[in-house]
Amino acid sequence: MIDEQPAVSPAFRVASIAILAAVTTVLTRVVQVPLPARGYINLGDVAIVFTAITLGPFSGAISGGLGTALADLLSGPYAFWAPISLFVHGLQGLLIGLICRVRPGNLGLQVLGGVVGMAVMAGGYFLAGIFIEGAGPSLTEVPGNLIQGGVGVVLGILVSAAVLRAYPPLRQWKW
Amino acid sequence: MIAEFYVPGASFLHRWDARAKLLFLPLVLAAFFVPSTPVVLLVLAAMIAALVAIALGPSQLLPPLKTLWPVLILITVLTPPFHLAGPALIRVGTVTLLTHEALATTLTLLARFLGITYGFFAVVRAMSLDDLVLGLRWFGLPYSACLVVTITLRTIPALALTWHAVRDAHRLRAGRGDRGRPPVVKTYLPVLTSVMIEAVKGIPVLAMALESRGFGRRNPRTSFSGLKEGSRLFVDAAGLAAAAVALLWPLVVRW
Repeated sequence: MIDEQPAVSPAFRVASIAILAAVTTVLTRVVQVPLPARGYINLGDVAIVFTAITLGPFSGAISGGLGTALADLLSGPYAFWAPISLFVHGLQGLLIGLICRVRPGNLGLQVLGGVVGMAVMAGGYFLAGIFIEGAGPSLTEVPGNLIQGGVGVVLGILVSAAVLRAYPPLRQWKW
Repeated sequence: MIAEFYVPGASFLHRWDARAKLLFLPLVLAAFFVPSTPVVLLVLAAMIAALVAIALGPSQLLPPLKTLWPVLILITVLTPPFHLAGPALIRVGTVTLLTHEALATTLTLLARFLGITYGFFAVVRAMSLDDLVLGLRWFGLPYSACLVVTITLRTIPALALTWHAVRDAHRLRAGRGDRGRPPVVKTYLPVLTSVMIEAVKGIPVLAMALESRGFGRRNPRTSFSGLKEGSRLFVDAAGLAAAAVALLWPLVVRW
């Protein structure tokens, strides 16, 4: 039955990963938040933080990596970043989930996990960018990635708390 | 939002087998990381750009350039300062602006960036996402993983519509319309919360639908569509082998 430990059902895991990956893709591709100075950030990291906190590290890793990779593939010119996004954001989701799992609901651990994930994400893109664009251009993207990651952590934690309060069955879906 | 970058067509790139196209991608990556001279890499990048122009039309060369020109300028401007050792090409007084090594590195990075961009762009433009999933499944990606990708792609347009509808509804409630720029949290938190709740509410329903359709059974599965077999596959494989030799010949020559 779906209500008894739903998270162990393979169909449930497929459904949860697919839908949250779709949320990640939409928040990465569709939503553009203008920065005070110039440029835009996306809210894909909000979905990754939310998924890792509410559904656990494996959901966070797979849906975060898959969602951002698909967003890159659907963009066209950024398609070659898809394998890098799959790995970097997957690792980000995994680490956030593993840290938050130590003591579920603990705000301090959620912030710590978010900061670690943010650093891994910015560092991963920087290292990959060194080989593709060179160190100089790759370095210029680090501040934007950190801002995007920071906004993702703050909003992700707030959204997670709000959704768990509004939809309590979500608490039993972690795996 | 359309969840696909594919544009239908009848070019040789469209007719190329999906499995060969998937193998072409790591070949392109490998070709641009093989130790080689900038001239060879620029020729390779030009060949791939020519492939895009011939298969998809010359106008398709512009969209990647329009999106990525700031990165190309950053590479051109920011690479030389990191490579000032060696004989100078351009010197102003005692200040070295450009060296031979800096020029070579800049050209290598530009060729690599453009070549990889156009290579992936060409494949994504000429391969439907259904063929992508079938190709990955042929290479051994588990059925459940392919199912996840397929469901994700089908869900994206609906979720994008939900986002726009919820965002517009919240704007009307707040009476803001498009005026001003409220703080990020006040603007996006209610919309994100609503969209997330809508999304997660769909998970149990989808899971029940999958179970009722037999997901999790062990009997062999059928597939509504498939990839081509027979002599056409042999021709595409031979073409891929020729492309592999052409892209990786600097490595072969070095050995």
